[in-house]
Amino acid sequence: MIDELDNQNPRPDTFEANRESDDLNVRDVHGAILREKDDPRDGYEPIPLWLVSFFMALVFWGGAYLAFNSGGFESKVFNPSQVSWSGGGAVAKGPPDPKVVGKRLYTANCVACHQATGLGVAGQFPTLVGSEWVLTEGWQGDNHLVFILLNGLQGAIQVKGDTYNGAMPPWKQLKDDQIAAILTYIRSEWGNNESPISAEQVAKIREETAAQTEPYTQAQLQAIPAIEFEDAPAAAEGSAPPAPDAAAPAPAPGA
Amino acid sequence: MNKMPVIIIGAFLTFLSSWIGLVAYPYLQLGRFTPFTSEDTGDINPPPLSGMAVTGQRVYGSSGCIYCHSQQVRQVGYGSDLERGWGARPTVARDYMRENPAFLGTMRTGPDLTNIGARQPSVMWHHQHLYQPGTVSPGSIMPSYRYLYRLQKIEGQRSANAIDLLPPDNPPDGYEVVPTYEAEALVAYLLSLNRNYPLPEAPEPPQ
Amino acid sequence: MSATTTAHSSTAAPAMDKAERARIDESTRVPVLLFFGSAVFWLLVGTLFALLASFKMNAPHLLDQWGWLTFGRVRPAHLNAVAYGWASSAAIGTSLWLMARLCRTPLRHSKLLICAAIFWNIGVLLGIFGILSGDSRSIEWLEFPNYASLMLFVAFGLIAVWAVIMFRFRQPGHVYVSQWYLLAAFIWFPWLYSTANILLNFEPIQGGAQGAVNWWYGHNALGLWFTPIGLAAAYYFIPKVLGRPIHSYYLSILGFWSLALFYSWNGMHHLIGGPFPAWMVSASVVASIMMFIPVITTAINHHMTVRGNFGALKWSPTLRFTVFGAMCYTLASVQGSFMAIPLLNKITHFTHYTVGHAHLGLYAFFTMIMFGSMYYIMPRVVGWEWPSARLIRWHFWLVAIGIGVMVVALTIGGILQGLALLDPGITFMASLDYTKPWLFLRSGSGILLTAGHIVFATSFTLLLLKAGTRREGPTLFGTDQGREPEPIAP
Repeated sequence: MIDELDNQNPRPDTFEANRESDDLNVRDVHGAILREKDDPRDGYEPIPLWLVSFFMALVFWGGAYLAFNSGGFESKVFNPSQVSWSGGGAVAKGPPDPKVVGKRLYTANCVACHQATGLGVAGQFPTLVGSEWVLTEGWQGDNHLVFILLNGLQGAIQVKGDTYNGAMPPWKQLKDDQIAAILTYIRSEWGNNESPISAEQVAKIREETAAQTEPYTQAQLQAIPAIEFEDAPAAAEGSAPPAPDAAAPAPAPGA
Repeated sequence: MNKMPVIIIGAFLTFLSSWIGLVAYPYLQLGRFTPFTSEDTGDINPPPLSGMAVTGQRVYGSSGCIYCHSQQVRQVGYGSDLERGWGARPTVARDYMRENPAFLGTMRTGPDLTNIGARQPSVMWHHQHLYQPGTVSPGSIMPSYRYLYRLQKIEGQRSANAIDLLPPDNPPDGYEVVPTYEAEALVAYLLSLNRNYPLPEAPEPPQ
Repeated sequence: MSATTTAHSSTAAPAMDKAERARIDESTRVPVLLFFGSAVFWLLVGTLFALLASFKMNAPHLLDQWGWLTFGRVRPAHLNAVAYGWASSAAIGTSLWLMARLCRTPLRHSKLLICAAIFWNIGVLLGIFGILSGDSRSIEWLEFPNYASLMLFVAFGLIAVWAVIMFRFRQPGHVYVSQWYLLAAFIWFPWLYSTANILLNFEPIQGGAQGAVNWWYGHNALGLWFTPIGLAAAYYFIPKVLGRPIHSYYLSILGFWSLALFYSWNGMHHLIGGPFPAWMVSASVVASIMMFIPVITTAINHHMTVRGNFGALKWSPTLRFTVFGAMCYTLASVQGSFMAIPLLNKITHFTHYTVGHAHLGLYAFFTMIMFGSMYYIMPRVVGWEWPSARLIRWHFWLVAIGIGVMVVALTIGGILQGLALLDPGITFMASLDYTKPWLFLRSGSGILLTAGHIVFATSFTLLLLKAGTRREGPTLFGTDQGREPEPIAP
């Protein structure tokens, strides 16, 4: 065992040693103490040169990094990749792809309820996949979609034979091109195949419905005649039932 | 190095350098903001929290939401926050000037909430989500905050603020689930989270 | 040993005689046992909270009826219980004993320390109750409500005063490297704790500046409180058990001062890409990379001290836990330096990778070194050897495997999560789905760690009760089977 004795001997004649053996059980303490080695001491090997060189290189790198990534040490520069504050936004690279923008906006704003798959949550949030509301089959028209996005929907509605009794909040705080992008996206994703919707069409409907303050009910929407946007845009609310969807591309017949 | 003063003074000075650099100077640069008033619209940004949202901020803190949710939209090139639509622009220090504490967060077990008020403006959705997150958001591991709600017998008419719940958490017939004041305050706070206003030091990046 | 070592042997610490050493150990008994006892208690409490938090991430409905057990409260209860309850108490207990030994003078003014221990425990207890009942300040590492943090600050003030007095009245002679770290830690921590609490909790500054103060504190609690004490312990116990000198005094100096200079600037690396001026973030990135200097220096110093004697790890519990911890210090710090590089930080930020890194540091480095320290110190203050080498062996393997599995699981899960989050084409829910199997694995590792802690607590209690038959020698691995260790190489 490590019961090796240390070089030094205890000093039995001193006051301290005698006093200590009165207070403590000598065997208790001396067992652990006796076998201990001396307290640690320092060696004096020199620092290796390669280590010093490596550290110098690190310091140099650090200085360079700091010089190039500190935005001039200004409090208004938040992005380390910017050399200094340019005082405004950078130049845009060109018009963005509406499908990409639409998907991003859908993911940010709509996924919470309608889910990334578009399938919604049974009994709570209606599905958009193959939905007659999105594809504007049945009584629904393109204009109804824009109404819903702008002012919301409430009360019981029928979607693909199921009843949903939820509430969709209004999204009129989104810009026209954003609403158009979202609608275009949902009409061309998940197997849906309908024509895109433009920002101008959204703008027009926003103007017409400026007075609307409450979310629509299904009954209210059904009272408004459906409009397909490829039709003459002059078709106003309350006019005759919609003309057949003449301008929509007819599916190519087999062979 | 056998002298106490050397160690003490050395430890003091090295530490002082970081205290100056990461505490005192940032306080001077970032701790004395005033809100920005837009010349065109007259809007004051960041807007002050009002009403129930002030209590809601405390509920957010005491519920420990920061351990799963962050509240910072990262800079361009430092993540896909903007591409995910989590904000129109990266957040800057002034956005947090009225927060105490600032709920920056360090984990994204759940999504970033900086602009959740803009992304999800439906009060009912928030209550449903707080009560049964796994049902409203399939796959979510967020715990239920049902202890912020009360199950009570319907007296006469259903309460105006009763929430609609899906199975298996929907109340039995004759009963309704009603948010407590704390739940309503929390939702009010969440709806107030919207940092999409412009600031001079925070221009919108290109698409 | 080379010629240069013997040439300077005159500056070695004068050897204490046995009676003096015994008297010093005896004088530390009450405060050390108070702090170590509290530490073990809070280790169990903190581990229980950890297990609950981890299970809740696997099964969110677990115990969700009660607000006081919601994940958002259990998780900070865990952090504070292990950081201020377990780790800090163990740190203080170890430091007291080390200070007394290294100052070569019996511990004075133990009443100061007994008061401190009482205040400390009351503070932690109040703090944990505060968090669970909803009084959390919701600032990471500083969640304790003011009535609790005040207690901690008073306790710590007493300890800092004691430390300065002890050092002032030390025996003249060479000041060993461990003492530099201990003295510095006792100066740094009260300054850190008071500044952060005043600016964030007592008289909060504007929110825009709070994040900087928060993470200046959070990182420095790790780097300027736990790390120096862990290193002080490693610098003492490794050469002590082996009976060999520390490889290079010059490396010790370089390591100490570079740590003091660079570590404290790291804080902003928790906020890369965040709403802070670019210069602050870049300064912390640079400081984080510069940490290679103290870390590699210390690693070389320790490695060269042990070199040729790794066989000693087979029989010494103190050495095994301490060397494990010292190696993980190097690993965790190097990992941390890389994590601060924005290219990699983009991936790991906000993910479980960070949690894995935190545990590699606070557990695999610091906690393991604390275990090693306690295995050495306890027999000397209790006057009895550890009752069972088998329990020590079980303790080691349970926690070593436990922390290994945990860190690997969270690292892999975190990287997958981070890569998914970076790609806007991948839904957020998908990033969460990637983490789920790894979170299950983490819970499994948590069970191993809990078991290890229960084994340790059992061992600790049996030692306090002086259970078993009196041993003639130390409780080394294998002594239950009657094996004998090999001698140390000269």
